[in-house]
Amino acid sequence: MSHSSNIRRINRRETHSSRAVASVVTAAILLLAILWLVAGLVLKATGNAALLVSPAELAQRVALLARNTLPAALTGGGIVVAIAGLVLVLLATLGGTKPRHVIDNPRAAVVVDNEVLAAAISRTACQTARLAPEQVSTRVGRKTVDVTVHPSSGLKLDEAALKEAVDAEVLGFALQRAVTLRVAITEKGAVGV
Amino acid sequence: MTTTNRALNRAVLGVLGVALIIAGALTAAAGFSADVANDWTRIGTQAWAWTQQQLGSARIPNTSTSWWTVAVFGVLLVAAFLLVCWIMSQGGGRTNHVGRHEESDGTTTVESGLAAQAIKDALSGNEQVLSTAVQAWRIRGTDGLKISVQARKGASPRDVTLTIAELVAGLDALLGEQVPVLIRIKAGARTRFARTERVD
Repeated sequence: MSHSSNIRRINRRETHSSRAVASVVTAAILLLAILWLVAGLVLKATGNAALLVSPAELAQRVALLARNTLPAALTGGGIVVAIAGLVLVLLATLGGTKPRHVIDNPRAAVVVDNEVLAAAISRTACQTARLAPEQVSTRVGRKTVDVTVHPSSGLKLDEAALKEAVDAEVLGFALQRAVTLRVAITEKGAVGV
Repeated sequence: MTTTNRALNRAVLGVLGVALIIAGALTAAAGFSADVANDWTRIGTQAWAWTQQQLGSARIPNTSTSWWTVAVFGVLLVAAFLLVCWIMSQGGGRTNHVGRHEESDGTTTVESGLAAQAIKDALSGNEQVLSTAVQAWRIRGTDGLKISVQARKGASPRDVTLTIAELVAGLDALLGEQVPVLIRIKAGARTRFARTERVD
């Protein structure tokens, strides 16, 4: 219950998916199936016609499914069901990280969208190298930051200064997970920007 | 910052996934191999005959319905109730206060609206911040504050963090305690459409 454990918990929960959407969708599908079975039982007990098939007929069909269905259809259907199951298992086991980074802060949990980080890095690069915003593009991933610079055609670009400035900006973020910075300067210069 | 039970979500999804994989693999195997298909039909026929027998032996007097059908009906209703509970357990945990102190002569509660208004006012003149939202959430028995801001395109996350951290320090002094705080710096629709601030 300490302060820092609360911060860690918030940071973790804010950067990982809660699987709420998958859970609600799965539960809704199961619920519909169950309500359909319940309706079928009630209709049968009250002597009414079933919706599509009655639960008893459904059970009988499942029991004889392997005899009454084309083998190819059985295989195909089985594979589809197994893939759906695999998706659920992967949802349950994979990390589910969101495109966000945690910034170290002693007082509060701080979580920033990767897009915001990328925009800030791009702006720093543009200002240092005196480029138009369109000449720099930045992608921030979980472990890497890729900066691509299109220098103005015919003008010399101070690569060292650019790299230093971008490096300082990324270090200044104080990201909790260290990232590898790659600055690529394209051979082709941009004309008319 | 919701109180969603994430372990439960993953556990239930995993169990359902494994069940689907087993059912799917069995069905696919029945398509491949005649042996599996024959076994399926044999066991299925036996199970169906046994079920018919059980249904017939526990008939409710004067009706064509069996007690077993009633039992299945009950089990299905319980399962439906549990599924509804699972859906309802998603999200949740919002509150409207950020501090609660019980003393011998009464209880003091601080409405989250107070903190929200103070933080929004302080950030309203900030060029780097396009919009601010402040909410209070339950976290492990205490109240936490979530401050979400939409940053202007190109705004330095460090500067925004420092600005908000200063506000949080002021809030600590005001409340007399350190409530858990989450600062979320987001990009959103307004980030994309608003002009870039080129001058610091």
